[in-house]
Amino acid sequence: MLGYGGGMIEAAASTASPETVEIVLRQELARGDARAETVVPILRHLLANETNSVFGDDILARVRGMAEHIACQLLDELAGDDEVEGKEARITALTGAFYENAPFLAHLHALAMEWQLSERMLARFTLDPVLSPLVQALVASKDEATQALAMKALASQARFCQAQRRMTLPLSEMPGDHLHFALLCLRNLAGEGEDEAAQRAEAAIRARYDEGKTRLGMLSQLIMSMGSGAIAALSLTHAGTALFLTALAIGSGQDRDAATLSTNDGQLARLALALRSAGMKPEGVNEQFVSLHPDITLPEGFEQLGVDRAAAILAAGGSYPGG
Amino acid sequence: MSGKAGFAAKALTDAEDRLLEAEEPLAGLQLRCGGELPGTIAIPILLEAVRKSRRYGMKLARTLTAQDGEERYTAFIEVLPRDGEEGCEVIVRNWRATAVPQVTEEQADHRRTVIDRHLAEVWALLDKDQRLQAVQGDAPDISAVVSAMHEGLGRPWTDFIVPKGMSHLQPMHWRLLDGSAVEIEGSIRDWRANLVPRLGQAGEPNGFELLLVSDQPPPEVRRNRRASDTGGATSGARMVGKEVAPALRQPISRIIANAESIRTRLAGPLADDYANYASEIAAAGQHLLGLLDDLTDLEVVESPDFSTAPDLIDLADVARQAAGILGVRAKDKDIRLVLPNGGDSLEATAEFRRVLQVLLNLLGNAINYSPAGSEVWVRLENEGTKARMIVADQGPGLSEEDAARVFEKFERLGRSGDGGSGLGLYISRRLARAMGGELSVESAPGQGARFILDLPAA
Repeated sequence: MLGYGGGMIEAAASTASPETVEIVLRQELARGDARAETVVPILRHLLANETNSVFGDDILARVRGMAEHIACQLLDELAGDDEVEGKEARITALTGAFYENAPFLAHLHALAMEWQLSERMLARFTLDPVLSPLVQALVASKDEATQALAMKALASQARFCQAQRRMTLPLSEMPGDHLHFALLCLRNLAGEGEDEAAQRAEAAIRARYDEGKTRLGMLSQLIMSMGSGAIAALSLTHAGTALFLTALAIGSGQDRDAATLSTNDGQLARLALALRSAGMKPEGVNEQFVSLHPDITLPEGFEQLGVDRAAAILAAGGSYPGG
Repeated sequence: MSGKAGFAAKALTDAEDRLLEAEEPLAGLQLRCGGELPGTIAIPILLEAVRKSRRYGMKLARTLTAQDGEERYTAFIEVLPRDGEEGCEVIVRNWRATAVPQVTEEQADHRRTVIDRHLAEVWALLDKDQRLQAVQGDAPDISAVVSAMHEGLGRPWTDFIVPKGMSHLQPMHWRLLDGSAVEIEGSIRDWRANLVPRLGQAGEPNGFELLLVSDQPPPEVRRNRRASDTGGATSGARMVGKEVAPALRQPISRIIANAESIRTRLAGPLADDYANYASEIAAAGQHLLGLLDDLTDLEVVESPDFSTAPDLIDLADVARQAAGILGVRAKDKDIRLVLPNGGDSLEATAEFRRVLQVLLNLLGNAINYSPAGSEVWVRLENEGTKARMIVADQGPGLSEEDAARVFEKFERLGRSGDGGSGLGLYISRRLARAMGGELSVESAPGQGARFILDLPAA
């Protein structure tokens, strides 16, 4: 992150004019100074972070873990039954490419944050990350279709928890856009004589994939199947983290990754607006804040903010790379 | 993709992401979104999902939200590439329709104005007494009324367009007229008039935008409208009037209308600087419109079979009408227009509209280039076989060279930035000649200029 870009100085030397050399050196010095100035704040931030920080060690490790796991699965598919040669270097090359794609990175980050939130809810409210009160109710539903869907969602949520503990993310659980990008990275990486194998690997992965069967796909469908009852999922302690985040995203018209980020304590306004624009009454928003941020009170007058205004403010705000 | 959970509809798409077949309720939504069946997918989120699924070769699943103006729809869609074919299969589940959230009256009003401004086929600026200041519109069935309004600038708009079922003395209070159904002579369509007030400092309207909107499309535009006006085809190279002008006029009018609403701070408070920029944009737009008109006229008068429709006219009438149109502008510049006496009349054989056009050009120039406090005369002289109209000013006058060049095409005599195109006098002379007359100038530096329009006497 703080690496030094030496290319500029070499370029200046070749133009040979003393003035340009001076200008370039001065610019380069200023750039270096600017970088140096950011070292301490970033370091301070990393050191001072609490367990719920967006940049916690735990979060970073989890993001790295998932990215490497994705790379590993791609390479295994490419190699088939053979041993992958130079695996470590190729994993580094692939993850390097992944990190260049902001929405991709934001998605992994959001998953790590979601898991962290689940653990916090478990610690604070003994809220089970898999079997929340709402999921229990859905599983016991008299409607067969709902019940079946809820069972499948429950199973995939259980797999997600297991995978998060191991800091992994199966290809079959990735959103379609991100999987497509990962496959393009693999295609780029494939070396001489590997073209055929790469094509075969890619085709196999694409054919196996079904976004509707991913955990996120099933959570979405579950929320959609609840119709107007989906408002019940806007209660974190009732719905559990996973369903809550999906309901929040759908209700407020945001990307789920952006919705996840909004549960962080640096994003209070976004969360309040998202809840309100998803149709939750101001008192309800207050309740959610009590579970997520017990020390925060909503600004005075929030109860007068209409659903449409909340949505408009939210839409006018900056967008998250994941969005 | 198995399972019947929440199943609502199935659909098929092809290699170009066209919806080939679709079950209800998806089919209906496709049509209400403006699409056809079969036809390209008109529901944005569905189109994106299908396009990606086809390109990625993957089964995708998305939540769909769409709106058709009355209701908001949500659903869960699954898209899978079809085996051995280029298209996709779409499965829609958990279809749900809810009423579109209510908007406040203020929001609705604002939205209506924005939409009307974009859809208006006749657009006019009115002063605070609803008198016409500018008018624009070009659908074939309204062109007659628009040109009548154009010639009747300064008169109330209700002189030209009649609000249905209102026998009251017009114009009534704008709030009563706003949104009313109106009839336009020559058009069989139903029209609605909307008045958008321009608010002054104290919040009272100091003028209006008049927007005439119809829910029915204009009649098919005849491609050679200009050509048929002039009684025949023109050469292929002449494109501006036929092809370019109609296409440009509308967007430019929109630019002006929008710049005007910024300038007048209709949408809210604004720093003076920005309001001034907006007024510059509006002025530049007006200039472009004027230029388009000139270029269109140029083509008309230059076409080999251009002819006029001569009639018995009274030149004194023409003079009075021209003075009526330009009176305000002259007054603004503190220039006095001296017209023939009220009882005077001089008959000529010419086309009223064309003579008026020439006179407006001559008077306009005189007002533009004369010093404040000076006078501009319009005089009539009976020359036997010729009826003569003279426009004389007390401006700087023209040198002999300039007087020789002033009727040339695009001649600006070294002027720039005053909004002229250098076409007015050229067109005027062509018009005069087409009517069997002549347009000439007598002048000397410091002596003012006398433009002389000779027409066949009656």
